[in-house]
Amino acid sequence: MEVEYGLTAQWTTELYLETSSVWGDSTVFTGWRFENRYKPLKREHWINPVLYLEYENLNEASRIQKEIEGGGPDLISSNRELRGEHAHELETKLILSSDVHDWNISENFIATKNLSESEGMEFGYAFGVSRPIARLASGANCRFCRENFIAGIEMYGGLGSTLDGFSARGTAHYIAPVVSWAVSDNATLRLSTGFGLTDQSNPVLLRIGYSYELAAFGSRVSRLFGVKR
Amino acid sequence: MKPARVVLVVFLTSIFAAGQNPSYRQDPQWIAPATAIAKANPLAEKPETAAGGKKLFLRNCAECHGPNGAGMEKKHSADLQLPLVQQQSDGTLFWKITNGNAPKGMPSFSRIPELQRWQLVLFLRTLKATGPDAADPAK
Repeated sequence: MEVEYGLTAQWTTELYLETSSVWGDSTVFTGWRFENRYKPLKREHWINPVLYLEYENLNEASRIQKEIEGGGPDLISSNRELRGEHAHELETKLILSSDVHDWNISENFIATKNLSESEGMEFGYAFGVSRPIARLASGANCRFCRENFIAGIEMYGGLGSTLDGFSARGTAHYIAPVVSWAVSDNATLRLSTGFGLTDQSNPVLLRIGYSYELAAFGSRVSRLFGVKR
Repeated sequence: MKPARVVLVVFLTSIFAAGQNPSYRQDPQWIAPATAIAKANPLAEKPETAAGGKKLFLRNCAECHGPNGAGMEKKHSADLQLPLVQQQSDGTLFWKITNGNAPKGMPSFSRIPELQRWQLVLFLRTLKATGPDAADPAK
């Protein structure tokens, strides 16, 4: 579960809580991530950069592959064996995004440092293009209007680490069609099915996300604590 | 008119007035470049597409500008019905929607597809033409 708050028009901060459920094993809390996105430029340009900084406090039972840098997680050992091993990681990303007419093109360059062990720096990438199914919005209030759907394709994977000399050997890579659906004015459902491209990749990687936007969240919290805004 | 009705009308009017921002002043540093100002709305000949713009407005803009576009004093958001907004060219409004004004809290809406941003501009013009009724979400 991820809670995101726009502190300013340029800075967004997020808290991400993780659990892992394994069929026939158990459900465990696997840790948390604290994420920050900052948009340094005040105006839109041909390429718009976003700086991303994340601190992770996770245990090895975490199976969520939010980003791919090296190989995949341990899918054989039990939650009990893995939950005792903790890792503190710092992750940075340079996110470049362009809006060309109806198309959105984005490129992510990822660098991760495990603060718990000396693993060097690990690197990864993500690249995606997407566009809405319909260019114009219809006047009707409908859930299944074509403009409520965005379709695209993305590719992501690892770029090796400083320890192995940026070798692509042993890294996972995926190609994934993506569909997002604006279910309502506040809610969006996102579905992506990644297909592994290398021996180190899982055959299929499914990502499903549901987001719900709370209007005037800051004002509601302020009122709760009796603070005037 | 019965006293209860008078009280109700005064009460509702005061609520409506409190939600507006008629004292809105524009940021003098938020100026569109000449090329953007001169851009014409490609949907100008398709006024019927303003209905889609209204939907987009309620989804993306109404939280800060209000469902009738009158702005909100608390949020320092623009009253889009004011002449100082309506006198701006279509290209200027499009540029402002696209770029936002981050230091003043207006986010960029470049993620909305280009033609849909022009639909928003088309809808903003109806706020001037017919006042609050045009943006009544119930209609």
